[in-house]
Amino acid sequence: MGLLSELWRGLKVTGSTMLKTIGGSGLVTTEYPKEMRHKPQRFHGRHVLNRYPDGMEKCIGCQLCAGACPADCIYVRGKENDPESPVSPGERYGYVYEINMLRCIFCGLCVEACPTEAITMTHLFEMSTTNRQDAIYTRKELLMDESGKVPHMFPDDELADLDELNTADGWLRATAPSGVAAYEGVQMWQGTPGAASWDPEPSQEERDRASEGDDG
Amino acid sequence: MSEPVTIKVDGKEFEVRPGELLIKAAEDHGTYIPRFCWHNRMKPVGMCRMCLVEVDTGRGPMMVTACTNEVVDGMTVDTQNEAVQKAQEAVLEFLLANHPLDCPVCDKGGECPLQDQAMAYGPGESRFVEIKRTFEKPIPISELVLLDRERCILCARCTRFSEEISGDPLIEFQDRGNKTEVNTFPDHPFSSYFSGNTVQICPVGALTAKPYRFRARPWDLHMVESSSFFDTAHPRLSIHVSQNEILRLVGIDSEPVNHSWLSDKDRFGFEHVRSENRLDTPLVRRGGELEPVSWSEALDMVGNRLGLIVEESGGDSIAVIGGASGTNEDAYALSRFARTVLQTNNVDATMGEGPSAHFLAASIDRGLIADVDDADTVLVWGPDLKETHPTLYLRVRRAAQELGVNLVVIHPRVTGLDDRATATLRYRPGGGHELLSDLSDGSHEQVTSLISGKVVAIVGQASLADDPGLAESVAAFVREKAGTPRIIPLANRANIYGALDMGLAPDLLPGRVAYGPEAAPEPWGEIPAKRGLDTPGMLDALSEEKIRAVLLVGADPVGNSHEPELASDALDLAEYVVSIDTFLNDSNHYADVILPAAGFSEKDGTITNLEGRVQKVNKIIPAPGQGRPDWSILDDLSTVMGKSMGLGSPETIAKEVAAVAPAYQGISWDLLEWDARDGAVVPLDGEQPLTHIPVRAKGTKAPSAELLLHQGRVMYDDGVRLRNCHYLSRLAPGPVAHIHPDEAKRLGAREGVAVRVVTSKGEGEFAARIDEGTPEGVVFVPLHQPGAARLGTDPVVRVTVVT
Repeated sequence: MGLLSELWRGLKVTGSTMLKTIGGSGLVTTEYPKEMRHKPQRFHGRHVLNRYPDGMEKCIGCQLCAGACPADCIYVRGKENDPESPVSPGERYGYVYEINMLRCIFCGLCVEACPTEAITMTHLFEMSTTNRQDAIYTRKELLMDESGKVPHMFPDDELADLDELNTADGWLRATAPSGVAAYEGVQMWQGTPGAASWDPEPSQEERDRASEGDDG
Repeated sequence: MSEPVTIKVDGKEFEVRPGELLIKAAEDHGTYIPRFCWHNRMKPVGMCRMCLVEVDTGRGPMMVTACTNEVVDGMTVDTQNEAVQKAQEAVLEFLLANHPLDCPVCDKGGECPLQDQAMAYGPGESRFVEIKRTFEKPIPISELVLLDRERCILCARCTRFSEEISGDPLIEFQDRGNKTEVNTFPDHPFSSYFSGNTVQICPVGALTAKPYRFRARPWDLHMVESSSFFDTAHPRLSIHVSQNEILRLVGIDSEPVNHSWLSDKDRFGFEHVRSENRLDTPLVRRGGELEPVSWSEALDMVGNRLGLIVEESGGDSIAVIGGASGTNEDAYALSRFARTVLQTNNVDATMGEGPSAHFLAASIDRGLIADVDDADTVLVWGPDLKETHPTLYLRVRRAAQELGVNLVVIHPRVTGLDDRATATLRYRPGGGHELLSDLSDGSHEQVTSLISGKVVAIVGQASLADDPGLAESVAAFVREKAGTPRIIPLANRANIYGALDMGLAPDLLPGRVAYGPEAAPEPWGEIPAKRGLDTPGMLDALSEEKIRAVLLVGADPVGNSHEPELASDALDLAEYVVSIDTFLNDSNHYADVILPAAGFSEKDGTITNLEGRVQKVNKIIPAPGQGRPDWSILDDLSTVMGKSMGLGSPETIAKEVAAVAPAYQGISWDLLEWDARDGAVVPLDGEQPLTHIPVRAKGTKAPSAELLLHQGRVMYDDGVRLRNCHYLSRLAPGPVAHIHPDEAKRLGAREGVAVRVVTSKGEGEFAARIDEGTPEGVVFVPLHQPGAARLGTDPVVRVTVVT
């Protein structure tokens, strides 16, 4: 007796999974790269350097991202803006910006450290290269153009999802700039990188008022 | 000394000296009181209010500023109770009411006292929502310093520095109340030789330095301690490097030497290190053109050729000039190489300038820089210290201004110290000896009467017209007057004192030993007996073709000469010229082989300053290309020539020096790195083998011409290192001639017009500078200026306006 019933129990799992797969509801594998899996909103993918809506670069070359980087993969050098044709608002801009993607651990600390939201992360994760030099992304690769589009490394690749660089997570901040405990856990993030502008962070009072409104 | 008093700070009791400031006493005993305006080396003002503490002297607790209150016996101090914290938070909130939060782009960000203390003691949030005060973002207040008034917190550190320390009050508070701002006066740039110090002491990013602007952030800097190679006092500094490039130098508070101050030349003169003109590969002249070759090829070539010349004509046919630009280890290697391998005593690091080698290296009763602090009188009869010896200038100025020391300045024209001098004397260029005999005959009684008690005599060549022996005669005169004065003999050139201590003079051996074949250090073996020649002697011998080969080590006899044609003709006659240098200079046009050397910050070693203080200098970046330290080049050459010196490393050389040089016994790198961070004055135990007693020389009579030429060094000149500094090279005054207004009227010259200056040895066009500091009957021409004609040493001069 035992043998047959054990066999039946085992084959029942196999059979039901097979039927679900044929039916389409139990698919585990996706046909990558033809088909992309859905990635969570705050996925940590390749970085981009953003611009303001008027086309100015957001990066001020302050090197805070490089200082925060635990993998030491960011190299930044600042330079003085020419007042006649400034690259970024203010006195300073980042004239060298390099990320070594082989070293990067995609922790996102650079994004948190950035005081101007210049560096954000996108959903793009395909960065395979055939040599080490290509894995070092410079300003040319990282910086979005003036229309807000981010250059893709393989724009002609029919399998590449060009939208990954544009429909990606933007900025994520865990606490208020002042570090007030009341803001803890109140995450504010923007779903789009780059040229999009967003409203300033609401003050504590506004926030309180809004939540009172919800209650009432 | 009065009895120590007991105070109690945060419950801890300790004894301190009465009269000490509370903030300093607390810091010395481990309690840091936050501050912005107070600085250890300047007088307190109590401007910033950050150091408020609660003090109880028996009359109940009171909020006072720790920087303006002296300790009193039985004082109880609370530095962190609730009231104090509230006061600190309030002060920071007020300071930040107008201070912009542009920390990410500010050069001070990351090392900013305001940033740090706002984090440590600040309230975290501000109640001020109003728009902050705005000014035009950075305005250049000099060629080197930028001022951002928005960031200024009005601590008065820079204004106090320029008034109290450097004596150039060029930056001051303007306007009142809420409109107060710090700024320079209209049409007067902050052209102080010490402007960089204000950048270092600014507690915010209000004053920033142009050469460092936006180059790096503090967290990507590597640092090492070292000493400056410009000022012969060797002020202590920290080299800050990122990506193998020096980005800035910061003064270190060294009590015996520089009190954390640096002149701008010492602070910003590092720019030459990464100049594109640096030599980075051995060069050999083939068919008139210099061609790069490999080290082995170059060393073989030089070694074989020099060996051949020594064999054919003996060591006397070789001249070794220079050696003062490297470390003591380099100088020792050169000294040994010349004596044992080249078999010559024709070595000279002084290049024939200034006082004699014996006087510089082994003068009796050699003074220390710190001796000026407790002297009765300081006599300065030498170059304008502000121009040539800035560290010494600041110490002498402080002694005269703050410590009540009498100061006597004797110089042909106004010097930087005159405004603090008790007495000044002027003399006509070339008339030094005449004035000296007048002084000893009893004239100028009010001046000579000051020369008694504890006297420090700072002596050197004041004017090119002066006999180089004048300095020694002055020292002898002061010894006659005041018994045992302290004597500080002055010379220029980076490590000249160290080079002489290593025996780089025809009549000296390492460790301040008079030359003699029997005095040769043991590992050297036999050394030539014949007395060597000094630089002018060597150049003469070259012209007479008695010398066949020249080895130049960081030396430019043509560029340094006051009659360059003589020097270049002499080098042209030399059969073989080898140069070890960091840059191509005027003399290298005659070099057959040029070997690239490592320079400042590119090698480890020790250097010796004007008081005989040995300090450790450190390597932090590699030399460009294939550059190598001098000692290693010479070591390899000795191997090629079959008389290997086997020097090994700079540290083993230092050990050899300690073993063979009597005055350097006990000096080890360990000592300098650990127990004597400020350096150690040699000889450590007081006994030195050669003691030179200054002798009074018979002087020449002053020339009697109506107009005399005074040529003297100024801070910025056409030296090869300065020439290759991006910012400093623009600061040299260029070819100018200073003329008294009345003299100018007589000549018909106005400010800026071209005048033709003619002497017996040269002539050239100079821009007239109307200058009340230059006496009538004297024309002052700064030496070694870019584009300026060389005028020789003869002071008789004719000046005409070019029409």
